[in-house]
Amino acid sequence: QQEIVLPTPYVSLSRKATLDRELASNGENVRSLGAYSPAVQELLAIDDLLYMMVGIEGNYIRLRRGRLKENSPSLFVDPTMDSSIQELAKRLLPLCENYLIVSQFAESRSHFRHGLVNHAFAAALRAILQDYHAMIAQLEHQFRLTRLSLQGLWFFCQPMMGVMSALSAVVQKANVKNISGAAMLNLLQSQATAMAGDSSARALLQKLTQAASAPYFGILERWISEGVIDDPYGEFLIDENKALQKESLSQDYHATYWHQRYSLRQDVPGFLSGLAENILTAGKYLNAVRECGHSIKIQFPDDTQSADAGSSRPYMERINIAYSHASSELLNVILNKFDLMGRLRSVKHYFFMDQGDFLVHFMDIAKDELMKRSSTIVMEKLQSLLELALRTSVSASDPYHDDLTCNVEKSALLTQLQSTVTTGIGSIETGGNPESFLANLSLNGSGLGTQSGTSNITGIETFTLDYKVPWPLSLVISRKALTKYQLIFRHLFHFKHVERQLCMTWQAHQATRRLSFVGTAISRSYVLCQKMLHFMQSMEHYLTFEVLEPNWHSMETSMQNSKSIDEVIQQHDKFLDKCLKECMLLWPQILKKLEALKATCQQYATTTQWLIPSLNSPDNQSSSDYRGQSNDYAVRATVRTRLRFKQLSLRNWKADDERNFKSTLGRIDDEFKAELKELIFLLISHSQTEPCFAHLAQALQGEDTLV
Amino acid sequence: VESEVTEAALVRDVVYACQGIDGRYVKFDSDQDGYVIDANVKVPRTTRVLVRRLCEVGWLFRRVRNHISESLEDGPLEAIGTVGQAFCAALQEELGDYYRLMAVLETQVYHPIPFMSGSVTNNGGNYLSLRRLAVWLAEPLTRMRLMAVLVDDCKTLRGGAVAGAIHMHLQHGDPLVRSFLKRLLRRVCAPIYEMIRRWVLEGEVDDLYGEFFVGAQPVKAEALWRQGYQLQTSMLPSFIPEPLAKRILRTGKSINFLRVCCEDQGWAKAAAAAVATVRASANGRGGLGYGETEALESLVAEAAGRIDRHLIQIVYNRYKFRDQCLAIKRYLLLGQGDFIQYLMDLVGSELSLPANTLSAFKLSGTLESAIRASNAQYDDSDILDRLRVKMMPHSDGDRGWDVFSLQYDAREPLTTVFTEDVMAIYLRIFNFLWRLKRVEHALSATWQTMKPNCSVGRASAIKGDGVKSELTVVLRRCQTLRNEMNHFVTNLQYYIMFEVLEFSWANFLAEMEVAHDLDELIAAHEKYLSSIVEKALLGERSQLLCKTLFSLFDLILRFRGLADRLFENARETEARNQNAARQRSKDLHSGSFSGRKSSMSSLSGDFLTSISEEMDAVAVEYSSLLEGFIAQLPAQQHVDLKFLSFRLDFSEFYTRQHMSMSTTPLKFKRTSLRI
Repeated sequence: QQEIVLPTPYVSLSRKATLDRELASNGENVRSLGAYSPAVQELLAIDDLLYMMVGIEGNYIRLRRGRLKENSPSLFVDPTMDSSIQELAKRLLPLCENYLIVSQFAESRSHFRHGLVNHAFAAALRAILQDYHAMIAQLEHQFRLTRLSLQGLWFFCQPMMGVMSALSAVVQKANVKNISGAAMLNLLQSQATAMAGDSSARALLQKLTQAASAPYFGILERWISEGVIDDPYGEFLIDENKALQKESLSQDYHATYWHQRYSLRQDVPGFLSGLAENILTAGKYLNAVRECGHSIKIQFPDDTQSADAGSSRPYMERINIAYSHASSELLNVILNKFDLMGRLRSVKHYFFMDQGDFLVHFMDIAKDELMKRSSTIVMEKLQSLLELALRTSVSASDPYHDDLTCNVEKSALLTQLQSTVTTGIGSIETGGNPESFLANLSLNGSGLGTQSGTSNITGIETFTLDYKVPWPLSLVISRKALTKYQLIFRHLFHFKHVERQLCMTWQAHQATRRLSFVGTAISRSYVLCQKMLHFMQSMEHYLTFEVLEPNWHSMETSMQNSKSIDEVIQQHDKFLDKCLKECMLLWPQILKKLEALKATCQQYATTTQWLIPSLNSPDNQSSSDYRGQSNDYAVRATVRTRLRFKQLSLRNWKADDERNFKSTLGRIDDEFKAELKELIFLLISHSQTEPCFAHLAQALQGEDTLV
Repeated sequence: VESEVTEAALVRDVVYACQGIDGRYVKFDSDQDGYVIDANVKVPRTTRVLVRRLCEVGWLFRRVRNHISESLEDGPLEAIGTVGQAFCAALQEELGDYYRLMAVLETQVYHPIPFMSGSVTNNGGNYLSLRRLAVWLAEPLTRMRLMAVLVDDCKTLRGGAVAGAIHMHLQHGDPLVRSFLKRLLRRVCAPIYEMIRRWVLEGEVDDLYGEFFVGAQPVKAEALWRQGYQLQTSMLPSFIPEPLAKRILRTGKSINFLRVCCEDQGWAKAAAAAVATVRASANGRGGLGYGETEALESLVAEAAGRIDRHLIQIVYNRYKFRDQCLAIKRYLLLGQGDFIQYLMDLVGSELSLPANTLSAFKLSGTLESAIRASNAQYDDSDILDRLRVKMMPHSDGDRGWDVFSLQYDAREPLTTVFTEDVMAIYLRIFNFLWRLKRVEHALSATWQTMKPNCSVGRASAIKGDGVKSELTVVLRRCQTLRNEMNHFVTNLQYYIMFEVLEFSWANFLAEMEVAHDLDELIAAHEKYLSSIVEKALLGERSQLLCKTLFSLFDLILRFRGLADRLFENARETEARNQNAARQRSKDLHSGSFSGRKSSMSSLSGDFLTSISEEMDAVAVEYSSLLEGFIAQLPAQQHVDLKFLSFRLDFSEFYTRQHMSMSTTPLKFKRTSLRI
């Protein structure tokens, strides 16, 4: 992130330019080596080699020009040297070459931009080079005491040769790919494994790995103990996307915050690869707990420090401790401090209508507003009515009732669902896969508003509740979950509305009881009304008592037993998906049929509510007359009024109307019967994939045979 | 190989060069920017390179030492400040280690280097050669490089910024580098932490050279809290997070506020308690320093918590902040109804006079008697003392109504909350409310005059006289118009008193409960005030609306005058009629029927027509203004204003009226604005 570069002109100057310059200036006064005797030649060769071994060009052993820039320097020996000495000296050259490579690497990788792992690795390399330098100094001492021959030099350098070649192999690979972070660690480890046969090289590489991974484990430790990433160079296996805010959860349909705020990077160190998921979740949970305002720090047992490198076991243990601790902590916070179950119960009260008085009250007071076209509905009015209903019903005792708001969607439920079908991505018809289905839904939801056909639907069809979910709970009750709740709510709400319409028809019928309608169309209407009511009520019964309640209970118990928040989220999603499926929302054909049936019922309700009062209108006057009479005459009066009604009805209810009513009724009745039959057929045909449909079909069929 | 110089001499020169001193052969060459062997001296190339490489330490050392001597000896102290001093001192200490090493090397320089001889001297292990020097100098080299980098980076920086810059270098994976920098930082940050400690616990800015991240400005006592101290972000080291820095700033500010504005000493006890708690919990290592961020955090949290609590208590208990706010609400925001009613009754006639004839003194007396006569008399006398009458600057033609206002004198230290700006806003709200109240009062007065005059209308309605029926029409007109106006004013008043004032007040009280420090308190109060201003249509965005509202008020007052005139005339007529009737009955008894007609019709048709015309004009103007007002309401973004518009147009009477008139542009506006 920050660019701190070592401003040392000294290094660069001394490395390149001056080397060249001095070479040029001093080249002429070197006498050819061949002029000396072999003994002197050997001494000179040793002296040059000792220089060359610390990276300084000698007089007779030179760097091949022009090759310096490529990372593999190559040396050559003055050809005039005595051939046997020359041969021996050449054997030592790889050591010098390797030293050049390694020292260059150690120097350059200390720069800030290479990342912590490289820094630590370079530091470890420098320590080895320091030993190497000490060895050279020792050799020099021997040389000064004239105890060192070229043979001796060769012998003493043997252990270092192995070390240097192993190091330079690693370094060259690292140089080629210019790697850092986890890739570097992986390289070291794989190299160590490749060197398994050479025990000293392997031990060396393992030591290096340990040193290089120290900063990495430092980051890891903070992450799994505090949930904080302190990773200035982006080396850690987890990537933090700081742009995502937790507040977005209540808006974002895909819950990106939870899923993508922290993600695994491509390169994970090999020894952690099996644990990466656990590390990610452990830290994520800790971070979530931290965001909830708790600060926790997991204390680990300290005995793991001494464990040998390369084995991931001690870290595995720590990670597992951290994981279980974090997940239980987060679960505890969400379940107890933020009262998830209470919150869910509250959501259920409103969206699944399990406390009816609130909804009935609301439908009573908001009826007028809801009957308007959805584009003309004033949200504020609706909201204040909703609040009124909340405060005057039993919901006022719910501590979370303030979080309920309302909303008006752009299109009706069926259109919204249907458009998903027509755009037809995914196998909704067969599989009932809620994920792709809902994704389509949200995709189309925005585009639907512009459709022309949706302009005249009423608020009844588009009204939906909304719920403000505060932060840690929005993990569970995410936007997506809430959308599912809303779908179910709208489904139920519409059923409820149609049922209320039918009930009003029934009420209208009650007023005609005193009329003698035997043989008229009214009796038929009465029967039809009952049939429809039965249908509606058994549907509602099915939805609430056979789908929502049992599923809810099974979810509640499974949530009590879950061990991590992801499990809770999963349970909740599973519950919602099951509900959606069993509420037939994922079966467009069935849903369409249901919608048609509801439409028929509504048509019937409006027709009768229009017609019956027209026959009933004189009622008011006469009943007020009737009320004035004393008790003694009550019985007789009833008879009399009934007679009068009959006359009245005869007067008002003309044959024309009767015929008209009858034909309309007959048409509706037939339609209803036919559609019901189709619905039952559909249900039965689908019951193989969804067994619960069979039950519903049976309940409805029983009614069908009744007719 | 032929060489003019012995290796021993070169080694000696290199050791000198490593301490920044030119030797006999090894000298600083500014062309090559480094220590090199004199070009005229004949040495092998390898030696030359090796020497040059070894002398890198010397080159770096020169830079570091130059920096130290420049800052410590030559430059004025202000230029580097205490942190810079600490930095130099820390560097110097590190150099001390280096000097020790050099001294050790120095002793070894004089041991002869065995050269190509078999003789082993007894101290043969301890001589120095160039290659041995390379081993010795490897570790100091890395350290020296680091120091040089730091010196380069920090050259232009001062104070907290130095610490921040060094902290940046800590992001290095080399354990050696880390431990070195940590050691260094602990030294460098010591002055900063000492400043923080002094500031947090004693409220002193102990900062001669402007290095602390809290900057103090000399200001008057009432501006102390708001302007006295600022956070200097450039001086904030990056390892102190911004929220913590803010907290530190506020803690010291609280202490200063207590000391200067409240003249309170209790904070010292609070600070001492905080220190004691921290020391107890930190089990012995309570020292502040770099790397002990948790210790700092806990100290600041303790101190801030205690001192802020103390401050809040002082503000609440000694200066009765809550009572003051309540008093302002009761008197300036007309919360105390009986007092306001009484004041308006008393002062009403006075205020109708031109502004320049009013005497503030007399009005103060009236205020006093209004207090005495209402429940306000039971209020704290200290609070009542602060209530004043204020005459605003007036121009020609202003009535008393325009210039009269109440003022509340908030004394120190609460002027920190109730600044002049804040009081000006209160004044604006008061003027608005007072105007509204006056309009309401006027309408009530109209009703008072109307009520006894019902009989006039009734009496004349029964008789089918032409003139009288015209009077009935006018009277009815007047009644309905008054009702309409009353509906508007009452609803507006209800909205402002209950949905704006009380609602904001309740929120404010709740926020006051949870406020931990003065900043939060001030913020809560400002939120309270701005919510009132916003919702009561006094804000920036509702200026047009407010103007319409004021013209509506003016219109209503005009209507009042009109109605008064009408009823005065009507009453006169009635009185005359009654006289006539009495006369008539007397006449009846005496048997005379003369003069009946002339006495009954004395309310002239001319007068009625003019009144009715004027009334019509008022009505037309009123309805158009009101319609404009209602139409503009939804344009306001504030949700609460939508409720006002519901309230005013509950039965959708105005909407329907509007529709029937069907002025298309307006209608379009209304529907389009609905979201």
